[in-house]
Amino acid sequence: MFVSDCRREFYDLIVTQRVLLLVASDVDALCACKILQALFQCDHVQYTLVPVAGWQELETAFLEHKDQFKYFVLINCGANVDLLEILQPEEDTYFFVCDSHRPINVVNVYNDTQIKLLVKQEDDLDVPAYDDIFRDEEEEEEEEEDSEKESDGSEPLEKRRRFEEEVIERTMKRRQRREWEARRREILFDYEQYEYHGTSSAMVMFDLAWVMSKDLNDMLWWAIVGLTDQWVQDKITQMKYVTDIGILQRHVSRHNHRNEDEENSLSIDCMRIAFEYDLRLALYQHWSLYESLCNTCYTSASLKLWSVQGQKRLQEFLADMGLPLKQVKQKFNSMDMSLKENLREMIEESANKFGMKDLRVQTFSIHFGFKNKFSASDIVYATTSLMENIEKEGPETTNFIKALDSLSRGNLDKLHQGLDLAKKQLRAIQQTVASCICTNLVISQGPFLYCSLMEGTPDVKLFSKPVSLCLLSKYLLKSFVCSTKNKRCKLLPLVMAAPMDVEQGTVIMVGIPPETESSDKKNFFGRAFEKAAESTSSRTLHNHFQMSIIELKTEDRSKFLDALISLLS
Amino acid sequence: MEPAEVEFLAEKELVTIVPNFSLDRIHLIGGDLGPFNPGLPVEVPVWLAINLKQRQKCRLIPPEWMDVGKLEEIRDQERKEDTFTPMPSPYYMELTKLLLNYASDNIPRADEIRTLVKDTWDTRMAKLRLSADSFVRQQEAHAKLDNLTLMEINTTGTFLTQALDHMYKLRTNLQPGEGSHSQEF
Repeated sequence: MFVSDCRREFYDLIVTQRVLLLVASDVDALCACKILQALFQCDHVQYTLVPVAGWQELETAFLEHKDQFKYFVLINCGANVDLLEILQPEEDTYFFVCDSHRPINVVNVYNDTQIKLLVKQEDDLDVPAYDDIFRDEEEEEEEEEDSEKESDGSEPLEKRRRFEEEVIERTMKRRQRREWEARRREILFDYEQYEYHGTSSAMVMFDLAWVMSKDLNDMLWWAIVGLTDQWVQDKITQMKYVTDIGILQRHVSRHNHRNEDEENSLSIDCMRIAFEYDLRLALYQHWSLYESLCNTCYTSASLKLWSVQGQKRLQEFLADMGLPLKQVKQKFNSMDMSLKENLREMIEESANKFGMKDLRVQTFSIHFGFKNKFSASDIVYATTSLMENIEKEGPETTNFIKALDSLSRGNLDKLHQGLDLAKKQLRAIQQTVASCICTNLVISQGPFLYCSLMEGTPDVKLFSKPVSLCLLSKYLLKSFVCSTKNKRCKLLPLVMAAPMDVEQGTVIMVGIPPETESSDKKNFFGRAFEKAAESTSSRTLHNHFQMSIIELKTEDRSKFLDALISLLS
Repeated sequence: MEPAEVEFLAEKELVTIVPNFSLDRIHLIGGDLGPFNPGLPVEVPVWLAINLKQRQKCRLIPPEWMDVGKLEEIRDQERKEDTFTPMPSPYYMELTKLLLNYASDNIPRADEIRTLVKDTWDTRMAKLRLSADSFVRQQEAHAKLDNLTLMEINTTGTFLTQALDHMYKLRTNLQPGEGSHSQEF
């Protein structure tokens, strides 16, 4: 059931209890977790934090801890499946689910006691009405019994007539029932067919903090990073992003209005957040402008930088702006001040000439101390690469904890490590995209495009992680759409496969929706993968919270794909 | 004493806060605290103020001497005089550090205050070194320094006393004593 008053029905209940936090592995969840941890620390709430990367880990963690905890908070996991069925909890355990995955499973919506959803109801959820899906089974049986009883005590003639009437009634009822069930299946199918995302969990948590008047600039920054993560990973539409930015902008002005006041200005060490209409270039303030232009998906796809023509066009672009190559290849902080001053406007003008209309985007940046200025997308890239770092240093959860720590202002060394890893990751993505397009690895299978990374491709290990692979596929699709001349292919979705674990022979497969101007980012691959796996009885593992990411055995790949093609055409 | 111990003693000083919660008077061994009412200023020891601030339960009000004008006067006064001038609080350095670390958003012009207090501290330490130097050179028997704070005494205390001890030992060894014949090969 939906929680209408977050404070009374959620926070006040857990403030005196011990709580288990189950947090999914994405940046939005990390940010929401940070905000909640800060609130817990203020109120001395005892909690245990367990990072979970998939359904199996969720179940294991639940089984381990179910005797000690009665209150579970799930962040960015658990809304889109029937929780009670999977976890089989006791009667008196309560689950608070703060998840941006949609559609929310109908059982979770209509369960009144154990499952509470911390979701804003302004999100258009389109949950089917209760009567359309659930029907009291007892009513049916009572009616049948009554009709049978009546048929016993009356005269033969009338009995026969009444008997016929009753038979007709019963068949009518059965037919109605069958119609109702067919309609129910249809409604549920429509409702659960497409996967998409709602408001960021970090923003929901910040709202909770605001309602309790405990919101701080730090928490606001985490909410901003959570929202930006959704935008970087292309999970929400442009409209929603702009609306949410507007909401956050109000909070930012409320917290940061003292920066203009000369008399009582804040210490330089205090954190300030500023709204910026900034360039869309990834990490450009921590890299050189040239590298950033080459490794940002938007510019690299529009200028088609994988071809020689593209490289020439890049040089033209830079020449058009009057930026000397030597300057542009230097670290951004060492560029001439005169060039940096009007950089954004200059780039925007030239970009318009080269067909890149959306080079600037509304975002926020944070500023503390004399040296440290970061934009929200920088933090998102850094944290993602820290979390999915393939170099294993210690137990499974160290990467998660490191990424969580890097979000605090005191751990700048971890943040810088993350930025370096992010640069490597972006470079690897661009090189892989370039090689895929140049060697025509993206093939049209009819209803979708398919690309598979081979074993020996450089950096292929980086793409055995779900978020990196998703990022790679989105960039690949965008570049492919810019490079192909086939009009029909431009509207197709993409399925991407990469080797996951060589010893076990598994492959990770990701499906993303087609790239269109006004796409609503709804992904049907979740259900499609499930059905294809069932029909071919392939050995698949639907472990990720997002249904469109699965793992399967390499041998089953071809028959799975064939089933998928026949399903979707 | 360790500087941390001096800071611990400094945390007993009283400072004004404005809480956002309410609580009745609490009775501790060292004295009573409270009652706390939202929006009404109350005086509490620094250790409690910092803890409440970290839990976002209060807003700190800087002490009245922590103001740019007053601190400038103090600094100029200190530079003019040869001896030590009285400081606004016996724990001015520790209080500045604690309050500016944890509550710099409640203190206006915090960076300037930090610089001014550091300037005053530097002047006083220079005077202390000068006076210790002249004390040793002129081999005085005792000296009297007014208006020093515990933190300043603590920085030179150990070193000065141990150095004087060493010098005493060396000096007594210089004078020819009864059993100190030099050895010859």
